[in-house]
Amino acid sequence: MKEILMGNDAIALALIHSGVDMISGYPGTPSSEIIGNFQKYAKNFKLQTYAQWATNEKVGFEVAYAGAIAGKKTCATMKQVGLNVASDALMSASYIGLKGAMLLISADDPGFHSSQTEQDSRAFAKFAKIPVLDPATPQEAYDMVKLGIEISHKFETVVMLRPVMRVSHAREICEVDDGLDFQPNIGNFERNIARWAAVPPAGRFRQGLEQLERLEAIKAFNWNYFLEPQVANLKHSKTLILASGTGFGYAKEALGEQNIQADVLKIDMPYPLPKEQIEALFTDYEQVIVFEESYPCIEEQLSSPKLHGKLTHDVHKIDEFSKDKVLAAFSNIGLIKKSTFYKGAKYTKELPNRPPNLCPGCPHRDVFFSVMKVFRKKSSIFPSDIGCYTLGLNQGAIDTVLCMGGSISMASGFSIADPNKTIVASIGDSTFMHSGISPLINAVYQNHKFILLIMDNSTTAMTGRQATPERANPSSIDIKKIIEGCGVACFEYVYEPNIDQTIAFMKKLKEAYKTATGPVVAVIREFCVLDKDRAPQMLPRIFAQVDPDKCVACDICTTQYKCPPMHYNDAHKIEVDPFLCIGCSACIDELCPTGAFERIEEEK
Amino acid sequence: MKYQVVIAGIGGQGAVFLVKVLSIASSLKNVKCLGTENHGMSQRGGSVSCFVKVGDFFSPAIDEAQADLLIALEGNEALRNIQYLKKDGGTIIVNADSNFPLTGYETISIDAFAKAKNKELPIQALNVYMLGITLARDPHFPFAQEEIEEAIRVMNPKVAAQNIEVLHQAMQDARR
Repeated sequence: MKEILMGNDAIALALIHSGVDMISGYPGTPSSEIIGNFQKYAKNFKLQTYAQWATNEKVGFEVAYAGAIAGKKTCATMKQVGLNVASDALMSASYIGLKGAMLLISADDPGFHSSQTEQDSRAFAKFAKIPVLDPATPQEAYDMVKLGIEISHKFETVVMLRPVMRVSHAREICEVDDGLDFQPNIGNFERNIARWAAVPPAGRFRQGLEQLERLEAIKAFNWNYFLEPQVANLKHSKTLILASGTGFGYAKEALGEQNIQADVLKIDMPYPLPKEQIEALFTDYEQVIVFEESYPCIEEQLSSPKLHGKLTHDVHKIDEFSKDKVLAAFSNIGLIKKSTFYKGAKYTKELPNRPPNLCPGCPHRDVFFSVMKVFRKKSSIFPSDIGCYTLGLNQGAIDTVLCMGGSISMASGFSIADPNKTIVASIGDSTFMHSGISPLINAVYQNHKFILLIMDNSTTAMTGRQATPERANPSSIDIKKIIEGCGVACFEYVYEPNIDQTIAFMKKLKEAYKTATGPVVAVIREFCVLDKDRAPQMLPRIFAQVDPDKCVACDICTTQYKCPPMHYNDAHKIEVDPFLCIGCSACIDELCPTGAFERIEEEK
Repeated sequence: MKYQVVIAGIGGQGAVFLVKVLSIASSLKNVKCLGTENHGMSQRGGSVSCFVKVGDFFSPAIDEAQADLLIALEGNEALRNIQYLKKDGGTIIVNADSNFPLTGYETISIDAFAKAKNKELPIQALNVYMLGITLARDPHFPFAQEEIEEAIRVMNPKVAAQNIEVLHQAMQDARR
């Protein structure tokens, strides 16, 4: 039957249709909707499954992997940088293999839409020596999930599915299975110490040999299943294109629209490649071009003087693919003249930038505003972390962003390297649970002096508000107790939309810091304005307007506070956009030095 | 048939909703459709541009100079995305006041913010309102009113009646 599905929806449905009943992962754009959609389908179809957010990607991978060792069909989901965290487990899992099946879904983000790197998970699959499937569309993602589970079971290896953002967040009318033939698979761990607990050197050496044999078998499968059936359709034009994932879509459209003669070999499994068979095809062509995103994963596995791609500087090396880049490659190789067909004219006058910003009413804004009021910028360092609060950049309250949990270890590092400055680090609750605890223990036992703000909005906000451990199980898990368990006292502030109070709390931390010999740690209990369960109770719904006689256009609200509804009108007075204001009331009374923000008395 | 639409706006204005409605409308017509959306960081009040490609396409993204139609939920976001429009025959449907500049493209502008301020229109329905303007004023738009209405019903039957009312209101306003 036909269904209109977003890529991540298609993936979730295919997992159910493949009989996967154990899925774990950590949210990260563009992968986040897979587990949520899986939970939705499992509920709708009344299936008994395990589908949970893990504290981080490594934990998620290991939970799913143990399931696969015990014979179940499982899946772990993450974004590409999450795979870095899970990679320790992956590298060994690749040697050991599995009994049931396991699909590792690592979603990439060419073009840096929502990520700090443009890394290619296919390259990681190659590094880890596991097969990887690269879908071009939601339909292919659906088909490849089912195929990936079969390949995993057949070859007893973890299989990676690598959708990019333009697959995960694409929407397509997909052909999916009609009925549901879902059999929960029963786990049965069979003791095999030589396999599951292989010790170096002999045990792992043997598994390394098996891994190499397995790869050869998968290469043969890749040729027989994916590639050989396409060979008969090659028309023997002068140019052969090897295209993987979205690269196929861009190439196919550009060739058709520009009437360029070239044969296309679609690479569904970019690793491991049957190098000899593919290279044998090259004899019939004058040139071979590889279109793939984002790293030269296919290109690096092949060698031929006819080969053109990123390594030969003919194809772009950074940023998202496009049809214009297909034509640019053809022109770089000298096959066509330079083309402006896919170049439009940008609007030439300056447009106001609209960078992402904290939502109107977000408590993070008040916290950062207060930090900037209390700690002198010149004599402070502000390491921060990955989450919505990274947008504190707009308020000048963030100096460094590295990776999940990096804020705390970097605060340690700065305290050693530049001890005369006050270090105020910020991290969210979900990120703290993900990777913040071990650096905090490190800082406590080594007496690193800094202030740490754990901005607890009780959700994984940036990726779509997935449940955090504390939210899901508040009676057992409490950040305050975790901090105390790490060996340090915990200051606690329950956020109120009252800037004076938030500033007073920061002053208290500053006082404590003066005499501290180790980290000064605080948890700030906030909420997310998009949180449908908590926000209605937390937001006072007192709306603000500006008294134009009091506004002196001092810029404090537009440069230091930066709440989206606040802007200058034609009379050069601040105005509050009533469509954007959500009635948090924080700006009323304390924010403006002349008290220009006042409450709107009428019922809205 | 091939028709490429860029939907531009600000995170939170409901651009993704329009991608869903147009995909459903395509499926009702039994035409292929590929779209792509913004999630994550770009949802936080930042600029958003979504693509819908109706017809025989292989890639969900739209290249510059290819779009038949640009539906913009805000004026500056229209201007930020005009490079996607076809040099000949591209149309802009934009929520903007009379200061919206001439761009050389066929432009239908309507000040939906002013209507919302006058309480003639719920601001949450801005996206559906601009879709109504499109139905009334883009002669090449590949969907009929009934198809869009049905798509809105399929999408969310609970609020369909309100949305369809806004659609009708927009179509009336556009023809005035």
